[in-house]
Amino acid sequence: MKAVYIHIPFCSSICTYCDFSKMYAMATWIDDYLDALDTEIKQNYRQETIKTLYFGGGTPSLLSIDQLQKLFKITGQLKLAKNCEITFECNPEDLTLAKLEFLKDKVNRLSIGIQSFQAHLNKILGRQVPEISRIKLAKQYFKNINIDLIYNLNEQTFTDLKNDIATFLSLDIPHISTYSLIVEPHTKLFIQGYHQNNDDIQSEEYLNEILKHHGYNHYEISNYAKPGYESKHNLTYWNNDNYYGFGLASSGYIDNQRYENTRNFKAYINGKFQAEKHKLSLTETLQNEFILGLRKIKGVNRQRFKQKYGFYPETLKVVQKLLNQKYLKQDAHNLYIAPQYLYLSNEILLNFMDTDLLKH
Amino acid sequence: MKQENIRNFSIIAHIDHGKSTIADRILELTGAISEREKQDQLLDSMDIERERGITIKLNAVQLKYNYHQQDYILHLIDTPGHVDFSYEVSRSLAACEGAVLVVDAAQGIEAQTLANVYLALENDLTIIPVINKIDLPNADVPKVKKELIDTLGFKENEIILTSAKTGVGIQELIETIIDKVPAPTGKLEDKLRALVFDSYFDPYKGVVALVRIVDGSVFVKDKIKMMATGATHEVTELGVNNPKAQTKDKLVAGEVGYICGSIKSIRDIKVGDTITLENNPATAVLPGYKAMKPMVFCGLYPIEANKYPELRDALEKLKLNDAALEFEPETSKALGFGFRCGFLGLLHMEITLERIQREFNLELIATSPSVIYEVTLTDKSVVPVDSPAKMPDRAKIAKVAEPYIKTNILAPSVYIGPIMELCQNKRGNYISIEYLDQTRVNIHYEIPLSEIVYDFFDKLKGVTRGYASFDYDLIGYKESNLVKMDILLNGEVVDALSIIVHKDFAYKRGKAIVEALKKQIPRQMFEVPIQATIGSKAIARADIKAMRKNVLAKCYGGDVSRKRKLLEKQKEGKKKMKMVGNVEVPQEAFLAVLSMDEEN
Repeated sequence: MKAVYIHIPFCSSICTYCDFSKMYAMATWIDDYLDALDTEIKQNYRQETIKTLYFGGGTPSLLSIDQLQKLFKITGQLKLAKNCEITFECNPEDLTLAKLEFLKDKVNRLSIGIQSFQAHLNKILGRQVPEISRIKLAKQYFKNINIDLIYNLNEQTFTDLKNDIATFLSLDIPHISTYSLIVEPHTKLFIQGYHQNNDDIQSEEYLNEILKHHGYNHYEISNYAKPGYESKHNLTYWNNDNYYGFGLASSGYIDNQRYENTRNFKAYINGKFQAEKHKLSLTETLQNEFILGLRKIKGVNRQRFKQKYGFYPETLKVVQKLLNQKYLKQDAHNLYIAPQYLYLSNEILLNFMDTDLLKH
Repeated sequence: MKQENIRNFSIIAHIDHGKSTIADRILELTGAISEREKQDQLLDSMDIERERGITIKLNAVQLKYNYHQQDYILHLIDTPGHVDFSYEVSRSLAACEGAVLVVDAAQGIEAQTLANVYLALENDLTIIPVINKIDLPNADVPKVKKELIDTLGFKENEIILTSAKTGVGIQELIETIIDKVPAPTGKLEDKLRALVFDSYFDPYKGVVALVRIVDGSVFVKDKIKMMATGATHEVTELGVNNPKAQTKDKLVAGEVGYICGSIKSIRDIKVGDTITLENNPATAVLPGYKAMKPMVFCGLYPIEANKYPELRDALEKLKLNDAALEFEPETSKALGFGFRCGFLGLLHMEITLERIQREFNLELIATSPSVIYEVTLTDKSVVPVDSPAKMPDRAKIAKVAEPYIKTNILAPSVYIGPIMELCQNKRGNYISIEYLDQTRVNIHYEIPLSEIVYDFFDKLKGVTRGYASFDYDLIGYKESNLVKMDILLNGEVVDALSIIVHKDFAYKRGKAIVEALKKQIPRQMFEVPIQATIGSKAIARADIKAMRKNVLAKCYGGDVSRKRKLLEKQKEGKKKMKMVGNVEVPQEAFLAVLSMDEEN
C-alpha cells in the first residue's frame, strides 16, 4: 500500500509567500504537462495498491473540465484501494458548480487555500479575498474538507486571528491547517525584504485552546481535525512511510530511496523526470523518523518503530538524554515531545543530527 | 672581505611608515632580487605579516654594492615593528652599527618612532633619518623635518628624502649608509663571540640561529657553546642569506649570517645569548641578554573537547618558531581541558590565536587576558598569579600588586581631553605632557598593564579618530585594591569568566559584563540568570528569557530534505558553542568580560 502525490504546478497568480514549484497557467503547457505526467506514471508506478492520492500544487483547481478529464484519465491507471482518500487542492474562486459537480465522484476530500478571510491580509499574501458562499457550496458536495490558514503576519492583530477562527468555526469544517508564516528564500515576500518578527507563541496557545474547545484534535504541529478527519495522506509523510511523487518538482520516498523530480519544466516535458536520487543510510532514515514523527502530537509509535528497526526508540542514548531532560515523554504506545516544548521542536531535533545517533 | 668594507644596519620605523617597502627597494637596487622574483615586501614572509603590515619574525640579508670602485657588503637586519617585540628589536639593533630611521612624510613622528630611536641610541648606533613617502599628496616634508630637528636633534642636511614607491632617494640612502655607518671593529684573532638576534625552526635543518659575529670566527664542524644556557652543539651548516640561503665554510668577525647545529628545540637558542667555542671559550658574554618573559596570559580551549590533542600539537608547532610563547595544561570546570598560555603582549596573543585558527583549523575559546599579579599572603609569602582561577582565598590575602606601564601617547593636541579621560577611566595616574611642536603632544601616564590588555588601544584610536600612536614601558609593580569577580550562569560559577578587578570599578564592570553576556548568549529552552559576584555577594544580574519558538510550521513530502538541511545548518551553528553546565555559550561570550565600560 502506497501513497501518491501528484503536482499540478500551474497558478493564475503567484502568492507572495509561496515557494512551491509553480508557473502561470497556459493551455498548451498544461496539455504537454499532462502528457508528460502520464509517461512518468507509466514508467515508474509499479502497480501497488494506492491508499491515498493527493493532488497538490500550484493550483489543481484551475484546470478546465477538459483538462481535469484528462488528468483523471491518467490517474485512472493507479490501482486505488476501495476506501482510498483522494484529496484535491482548491482555491475558493474555482469552487464553481460545474467543477464541484465534476469532482464529486472523482475525489472525496477538498483542501481549500483560504489563508485569511480578511481583505487586508490577503492583499499582503497576494491573494483574492475568499467568498464564503463558495465554501458553503463546496460543503454541499463534500463532507471531508480542510481549510488552510496563515497567521503571524506582522500586519495581523490578535483580533484579526480571532476573527479568522470565528469565521472558520461558523463554517463547521472538520479540518484546519494553521501555518505560522515562514518567509522562505525565493518568495516575493523574501525579495521584498519582509521580516517576520514574532517569536512569541501567543497565537499558538490561542489556537490550541479555542480549537480543542470546539472538538478539534491537535494531531500535528500545524494541523487540527475532528475525530476521523485527520489527513491520511499527510500522515504517510509524518509516519516516514513510502510514497510516490509524480509531476514537476515533486518528491518521493520508495524502497529506502528519496528522489526529487526536476524543477525544470522543459526537462520534465522532455521526459527527464528525476533530478536526484539518494539512498538513505540507517542514520538518515532514523533521523527522518524522528524529524517527521515528532511533528505528530502523539509522536512516534514505539511498537511500529520496533517493527521497522528492531529496537525501541528509548534504547538510543540521545532519546534517553532527552527523556531525562524531560523534553521528550513516553507512554506505553508513543514517544512524543513534551507539550510545553512543542514549538521548540527544532531545538530538540538538533540532538538527532549527530552522526553517532545510533549509539545505544 | 675586509671589515672596513662591511656595513651592518637595521631599518626602524613606526608601523606602516614604509620600512618593508624601503627594504625591498634596497634589495632590488643591490640586485639581491631580480625583477622576476619581485614580490612586494619580500622580507615579511608570513601571510599574517603581510595582511597586518607588520613584521613578526626577523630576517637578515646580505647585499653587495659597488661604490667608488670598491665592493661593499651590507647586512640588512630587519626588525619587528611592535612594542610586544621590543626586546627582539633591541637585540637586532645590538647586531648593527647603524640604523635607518624611517618617518612617514604625512604622519610625522609616532610613538614607535620614538621608542625605536631610544633603543638605537641605547645601542650606540649611528642613526640616518629618512623621510619616506614624499610622493604622497598630503606629504608635509618641511613639518616632518622640523619634528626630526626639534624633537630628535637631527640636522637638516643629514635628512634623506625618499619615496620607496617610486625609488627616489634609495641610492642616496645606500651610499649614505656606506659613508656614515661605521665598519665593524671586531677582532678577528679573538675568541669567538657571536650574538644571537633571532632563531627559527626549519624542518630540515633544525633550529637556525641568526647571528652577528662580533669577534673571532666560526667554521663548520666547530663545537659551539651557548654562554647563557651552557648548551653545546656541533655546527652542521652556516652561511648567509642573500636573500636565499647560501652556505659558506666560515663566518668571521663583522659578518651576519646563520648557524645550524641539528638543534631540536628553539628553547636551546635564546635571543640575546652569546655563542662561543666549547674548547676555546671567550671569557665575557656580550651585554644585554635577558630571558624573555611573557606578560599577558590567557586560557585557550578547543570548542570541541576531543580537539585537545590537536591544540597541543598546534601550540608545540608554533613554539618551534616562537621562543616567547609559553603554555602549560590547564583545566577549567566550564571549558574542560585546555592550556594556560603566556605571550609577550596583546598583539603576540592575537597573532598566535589567529594562526592556530587559520593554520591549524581549530575553533578556539580564549578566556580574557590576564597579567601576573603579585599576591602577598597573610603569612608574608608572595605568590605570582597569572589567572583569576589561581587567586588564593580572600581571607589569606594580605595585599595584591599589579604591573604598571608608562605610556607614550603621541597625538594632536586637540585630543588631550579625551585621551586624559580615557587614561583616567583606565585607572591611570597622570605624569606629564610634552609638546613635540605646537600641535602635537606626547602624553605620559602610569596605567596598570591589566587595563591596557583589554580594549585600551581600540578606545584610544576611537577617541582620537586614529590619530594617536601608542607605546609603553613596564615600570614595575604597585599595590592595588584588587578583588576576584566571579560570573555565574544559571547559578553556577563559570571559572573561565572570572576576572580580577579593582574594587572601585567592580560594580560598573560587573554590570557591563552581565549585560554583554545577555546580548551574546542566545536564548535557551529555559530562563538563564547571569550574576556577577564578589565572594558571596551578588553585585549585578541580568536574565536571559527562555526561547519560545523554534519550529518549522510546514513539513510535507517535499520538505524533508530541506528540513534536514535547516537542522544541519543550525547544528553547525551550535558547534561553535560551548556547553557550560546546561547552557550553550558562544565563543565570543568568553571575551564579554572585555567589554568593561560600555556606556551604560
